[in-house]
Amino acid sequence: MGLALVLKALVLILGFYMAWNIGANDVANAMGTSVGSKALSLKKAVFVAAILEFSGAFFVGSSVSETIQKGIIDPAIFQADPMIFVLGMMGSLLATGILLQFASYFGLPISTTHAIVGAVLGFGAMIGGLHAIHWSEIGWIVSSWILSPVLSGIVAYLIFLLIQKKILFALNPVEATRRLAPFFVFMCFNVICLSLCYHGLAQADLDFPLSYAFSISCAISLAAALLSYTLIRNRPAASSLLESGFHPAQAVSLEKALHHMQRVHLSNRSDSHSTRISRILDEVRALSDDVKKEAPFQDSTTQYHSVEKTFVFLQILSACLVAFAHGANDVANAIGPVAAVLGILKTNEIAPHSAIPAWLLAVGGAGIVIGLATWGWRVIETIGSKITELTPTRGFAAEFGAAATILFASKLGLPISTTHALVGAVFGVGMARGLRALNLQTLKEIVVSWIVTIPLCAILSIAMFYLLKWILL
Amino acid sequence: MLTIARLFGKSPFAPLQTHMDKVASCIGELPYLFKAFLEQDADAIQKIGEKISKLEHEADLTKNDIRNHLPKSLFLPLDRSALLDILSLQDALADQAEEIAHNAALLPVPLELIPEIKEDFSILCQKNVEIFRLARQVIKELDYLLECSFGGIEAEKVKGMVEQIAFYEYETAKIKKRLLKTFYSKGECLPHPAFHLGLILIEEIGNLAWLSEKLGNRIRMLLELH
Repeated sequence: MGLALVLKALVLILGFYMAWNIGANDVANAMGTSVGSKALSLKKAVFVAAILEFSGAFFVGSSVSETIQKGIIDPAIFQADPMIFVLGMMGSLLATGILLQFASYFGLPISTTHAIVGAVLGFGAMIGGLHAIHWSEIGWIVSSWILSPVLSGIVAYLIFLLIQKKILFALNPVEATRRLAPFFVFMCFNVICLSLCYHGLAQADLDFPLSYAFSISCAISLAAALLSYTLIRNRPAASSLLESGFHPAQAVSLEKALHHMQRVHLSNRSDSHSTRISRILDEVRALSDDVKKEAPFQDSTTQYHSVEKTFVFLQILSACLVAFAHGANDVANAIGPVAAVLGILKTNEIAPHSAIPAWLLAVGGAGIVIGLATWGWRVIETIGSKITELTPTRGFAAEFGAAATILFASKLGLPISTTHALVGAVFGVGMARGLRALNLQTLKEIVVSWIVTIPLCAILSIAMFYLLKWILL
Repeated sequence: MLTIARLFGKSPFAPLQTHMDKVASCIGELPYLFKAFLEQDADAIQKIGEKISKLEHEADLTKNDIRNHLPKSLFLPLDRSALLDILSLQDALADQAEEIAHNAALLPVPLELIPEIKEDFSILCQKNVEIFRLARQVIKELDYLLECSFGGIEAEKVKGMVEQIAFYEYETAKIKKRLLKTFYSKGECLPHPAFHLGLILIEEIGNLAWLSEKLGNRIRMLLELH
């Protein structure tokens, strides 16, 4: 039994290392903007991210982990010799770990998710044969890799369009923000609560049907929205109605009136009314000019600053959402193979229905948190200082789009790359004329490394498998 | 894994504004040039002209820098062509200032022979420089326009500024017309070359307003007004 113990310890260390790596490198995606915009201090950001990453991993992490554990390759193929499967999974973990180390050293945009899926796929196809692979599941996963950035881009685009049309293009942006903020709070809470209530709290023996889960999460979100409404009300308001002078809204309305008058004037065919119309037109024009001079269009800059200030709070919320979603999806990369190995070592045979034990999810979550605490905070700091362009309004739209997509995929058990989802979301905001300059070159790099990662990791995992076999057996 | 950070390219808007600052320093010399021109101070004209030439060259360097660092792979909130249009209009303004300085230094125009035009001439010069200042204000607003994605009250404000430029341009066109009328009617007393140069200068000074208005309108086309 000595070998089994060694293997158990080894696989736990490997899984923990992977979780550490994920925590060290990828959590920054969630928290970077909030630290960059000084919405959260670095300490607070690390603290908040730790809590949310852990709860995401613990409560929602199981379905993606199960996909990695037994969804990609059919463990039943290895019924004859379970040890092969154990070594294969360990080889995959080792290969992914090595590749990630290599990638972070050279600064390559390699996704942990793609690496682990490629590794498991490579070993499965080589050792078990092509029929060992669930090709339909692979099809789902690969299409989700293409669709997830697109989907998060579309969501982010729509959210930012909403912010634009209702807030930035409003004549009183500050007031519009006050009105719309509770709605955004509602959406954020709804996404997180729904993912928790619907098949989420299985660890706590709470499992609701969809309609029940939906009403619970709506109730919680409504409460949160109401709370945010009162909080916003209590914030001192910039006086929206001026004591003297005109409001920009009045100037714009008058301009519209002028526009309509001109239409009447141009389409007028009867001479008898023509002088009357021109007289009114002249009067309206004079009034409009006067109003325009007095309307404080000049305040626009302070108004937008105030909007961004309010959005800081929403952006913290959306960053939390990303942290939660990231924990839910990426913990699987570390825990999935470990669960597969431990399940076999326990009974010494392949049990097709072994679930992910809760303690293992907790270990994965803890690994992410430790990675964040020991190294990840540095990356958060770096990213935060580099992407200051993602101001709270933009950051909120992008992060909400990404987080909603990642959580949706997590619920479906699809391992997707959180970074790619976020990249897609940032482009969504860019499409809505929200960002100054985006580098399309980076997009190309991402696609290339996406394509290269999978075969590379597959080959590496096969090599690791033979290496482990040579050492241990 | 700083993929997200690498996604953000170098924004060309700050260099665009730097370019406009350099153009402004060029055109900022023009009032002194006009003063020297009215006072027939050939030495001062020469000196100011050289200074404008140098500033224009600096602006050109910034312009080339922007053009060289505007790869196709950069995704902007406005068309690349719009950005390049704005840049070339700014460049045209600097070029125009240099042209004016060069031509003013070519030969002395004995304005004392037709004192009637002196007043209108200085008003024309003053107005044109003023219109340019308005256009520069519009370019300064670009930061805020980006912040609110080219809509809302900020866009209304910029639209108002552009309308003001158009109105001033109309006013200077009237002054120019009046000036030309006097110039033609009294032009006999000037030697031929000086008369011709005077016409060219009036035309070129008027171009400043025309270019500024074009620049304003190009920015206006970016706005999302409802």
